[in-house]
Amino acid sequence: MIQIANLHKTFAGRPALKGVSFEVRRGEIFGLLGHNGAGKSTTFGILLGQVYPNEGEAFIDGVSVQKDRASALRKVGAIFETPGFYDYLSGWKNLEILASYSGIVSGRELEEAVQIVGLEKRIHDRVKTYSHGMRQRLALAQALVPAPEAVLLDEPTEGLDPEGIHEMRELIKRLNHDRGLTVMLSSHLLSEVQQLCDRVVILHQGSKMFEGRWTELDDERKRFRLGIDDWERAVALGITIAVQPDIIELGPNDDVSDVVKRLVNAGVKVRAVEPLRPTLESLYLDLIREHKADT
Amino acid sequence: MLFFHQLGGELAKLFARKRTYIGFAAFMALEILILLIFQIPKVQRGWQRTIERAGYGFDSYFSGTTLAFQMVIWTAFILGGLYIALVSGDIVAKEVEEGTMRMTLCRPVSRVRLLLLKYCTCVIYTMSLVLFIGTSALAVATLKEGVGGFFAIQPLAGVFQMYDTGEGVLRYLFAMPFLGLSMLSVASLGFMLSCCNMKPAAATICTLSYFLADMIFRGIPYFEDIKAWFITTHTEAWYHMLRTPIPVEKMVQDYAYLAGINATLVIVGVVIFQSRDFKS
Repeated sequence: MIQIANLHKTFAGRPALKGVSFEVRRGEIFGLLGHNGAGKSTTFGILLGQVYPNEGEAFIDGVSVQKDRASALRKVGAIFETPGFYDYLSGWKNLEILASYSGIVSGRELEEAVQIVGLEKRIHDRVKTYSHGMRQRLALAQALVPAPEAVLLDEPTEGLDPEGIHEMRELIKRLNHDRGLTVMLSSHLLSEVQQLCDRVVILHQGSKMFEGRWTELDDERKRFRLGIDDWERAVALGITIAVQPDIIELGPNDDVSDVVKRLVNAGVKVRAVEPLRPTLESLYLDLIREHKADT
Repeated sequence: MLFFHQLGGELAKLFARKRTYIGFAAFMALEILILLIFQIPKVQRGWQRTIERAGYGFDSYFSGTTLAFQMVIWTAFILGGLYIALVSGDIVAKEVEEGTMRMTLCRPVSRVRLLLLKYCTCVIYTMSLVLFIGTSALAVATLKEGVGGFFAIQPLAGVFQMYDTGEGVLRYLFAMPFLGLSMLSVASLGFMLSCCNMKPAAATICTLSYFLADMIFRGIPYFEDIKAWFITTHTEAWYHMLRTPIPVEKMVQDYAYLAGINATLVIVGVVIFQSRDFKS
């Protein structure tokens, strides 16, 4: 559905994207993960034709955004971290005006979008009276008209309270599940991406560090917290310590029972073995560490 | 059809702003103030001398049309330029600053079309503002002084003409759209600057500064030979409607020059905007 091909972008000589490529499949929830300045917003900007790449191209449903922006954007809706609205107008008027740039949109379509985001009661109030959460919901509503096939969400939960984050997350899931919408979202909140996304791309300083299901990494990196009395001897036995001194990492073909056996045979007392399911955070930090080590 | 639908949205945005209403109210207030100044006996005596020296009766020519013309000159000069520069300077830059431009640019609308819509909004605003100034000044002044002959005087532009009631009102009313066309140059410069990467206030200030400088330099005798190069030389073309006979050729020449300037400014603005990256 969405394809990013070898994107390069520099701002005032500073590289923001360095040859980033990835693909978002139809119907999936795809996450773009990275620190501030990693290149997430630049990628979104290029996808929406708001930023011109120095090299490379972005495609939406096979149409190049750089060559035919209007056709490419016909199938997507988008929201930003801090969506801008005409605060002195009502939410409804904002929707009408923004939707008019996509063509003639019926009132029924607008009503449906408002219903989906749950803003029916306040939609005719001025936007300046809205809370941040309501603004985000209004932003999502405008992204849903006229009926997109994909939505691009740049930091959709930024600045929301925990309840707002939960609501937004459920809304995104629902849109994906019920309407089959392809969702591409960026975030620096690892838990959000972990809970929502099928696949992720991790960006760091404009470069892609990882693309795929995060569980793929999970399978490759088996980690255990060991409670033992002599770490020096364990290291001498060739056991690899990962991240923290009490956590070991095994290769895909290693078995933890073999490790325990070796330790016990060497006279090391093993008090506890706790399997650790890697979080996206730990994976992310590992990747950055590896990236730094490589460079 | 879609274009007009979108233009309706742009106009709704503009005319829903409090500032727009306050602007119209400010013009009314200024017009009333100018009208009050014309009620001061000393000022009236000055007018009486001028009209009578020309061989006409003060009571016949110190009329609603005569005063409305003076009110328009001063209102357009003091507030008209300011408000048009303010609106045109804001039209793109303010949306970029507030983030609404990025929301709009998520839509399948080309940047050129978007700017065309915004420029049309500037044109409509300028014309409606000038027509409002003209008609409200005529209404207020006629209410106070009644109908009568039209003494059109503007020494700086070399206008000194007397008209009967009917022709005077017609000349006055027909001059207004031309004043609007002249003011479009202010809107075009403001619009062009608004397309650049600058704050809305900067676009407004630069526009006003340019026109002020243009007017000052044009008045300096040293620049007499190149007077035709100054924009404000041509923006005065609306006064031609008050001359007898109307110098049609000169008017066409002046407005063709202004149209060229306006088109150039708009194209430069579009090119600049087209090349910009928009990112938070």
